[in-house]
Amino acid sequence: MKHLNQEQLVDAYYGGKDGVAERRLKRRLDRHLGGCDECASAYDTLKSDLAAVSASDVPERAADYGAQIWSRVAPLLPPRPFEERRAPGMGMWRGLSYAAGCAVLVAGAFYVGTVWEHYRHAGKTVAPAPEQAHAPAQPKVVVVVLGDHLDRSERLLVELKHADSDSAETAPLKDEARGLLAANRVFREDAEKDGDADLSTALSHLDKLLTGLADHPGQLDAAALSQLKDEMNADGLLFEVRVLRSKNPHRNAAVRVIARGGTA
Amino acid sequence: MVYMGQNERATIQAVLAGDKDAYGALVVRHSRMLFRLAYRMTGNEADADDVVQEAFLRGYQKLASFESRSDFGTWIYRITVHCALDRMQKRRAEAARRVGEEADPELDSVQVADASPDPERLALSAEIGALQELAMRGLTAVERTAFVLRHMEDRSTEEIAEALKVKPNAAKQTVFRAVEKVRQRLVNMKVMA
Repeated sequence: MKHLNQEQLVDAYYGGKDGVAERRLKRRLDRHLGGCDECASAYDTLKSDLAAVSASDVPERAADYGAQIWSRVAPLLPPRPFEERRAPGMGMWRGLSYAAGCAVLVAGAFYVGTVWEHYRHAGKTVAPAPEQAHAPAQPKVVVVVLGDHLDRSERLLVELKHADSDSAETAPLKDEARGLLAANRVFREDAEKDGDADLSTALSHLDKLLTGLADHPGQLDAAALSQLKDEMNADGLLFEVRVLRSKNPHRNAAVRVIARGGTA
Repeated sequence: MVYMGQNERATIQAVLAGDKDAYGALVVRHSRMLFRLAYRMTGNEADADDVVQEAFLRGYQKLASFESRSDFGTWIYRITVHCALDRMQKRRAEAARRVGEEADPELDSVQVADASPDPERLALSAEIGALQELAMRGLTAVERTAFVLRHMEDRSTEEIAEALKVKPNAAKQTVFRAVEKVRQRLVNMKVMA
């Protein structure tokens, strides 16, 4: 009779917890163990060894342990969970909107071509109006509030603190850092002018982290994330931002207008 | 606000709608179960507390991806496995860095539960805990996770495979490797005793 190997003995020990096939296997192995003294002895040794590492006592937690954990977790949560998954059917709608966009572009190009041909044949030249030709490109104007900026920065730092190397998670962090840079520089300059050393230092520190994050080439892998967090002391910065937000609420009402793609 | 009477799906919907406090009900409900798992995996109370906290943070951040037809407890359990795994790997990397620099008595000692009021029971418990910890010390973080899930948490091969994001056969092999290593260490300890 062929004896059971160690792997089969382990299967016999744990197999009862698995699916139908494993339970069937376990029954077969148990039958063998019932009729083979040598294997039964090896199995008893295995059971005895594993009994020595049976489930150990887990230290008791207080009855309000859940509440204690919640009190530690709650302040660290962003206002809403991240939207990681699009609603079902979003992919289809996105595809349709691309198709519609392409159709509009083709129709527009056809129309422009028709008009162009019309002018050419009429012997006229098409020239832009002088004021249009020399008008500078209008930058997009955005109103930013210091309080909101600190809120967003805090959220980013919390997300950075808990980010892992999943590229789907880290890509939004880079985008958000880019989005925060312009406003951060404006508020930092204001703080310097006002002689607000605390705010100026924190925003200067934040500026370095945002720049490092925004300009990081490629995806942020685990090593890059860890290096960024350590070099920039992201935890310390998170604390600084929280203190700034709570210490002086009226200051957070400062409003500035910035031009995206331009200067303040 | 009281959410305990509501089912978890409604609670999760409330959280996704922006009610952060509703998440507290889920935290309160599952913390102890997650602590038990985290402690068995890390073998350290402070680390286990941190792992539980980290798991709930990650769970909140990923809540939008939670499939409402599945069970929140099972979902957050898997997240905890990953958090504990990360923690163990980080600890090992730190310990490896320290090799050659200075010996850390904290790392070399075995932490045991100190909640028992009876000194004899405490000694026995400490002895058993220390023995277990020593036997499991030779395992890699993944092997330890697979072993804890199988041997102490009574999880099936499929559940271990899902938690470790590997194929069932790989999970089974990992458990087998862990069992062999644990037994080998036990034999070595008996020889030394």
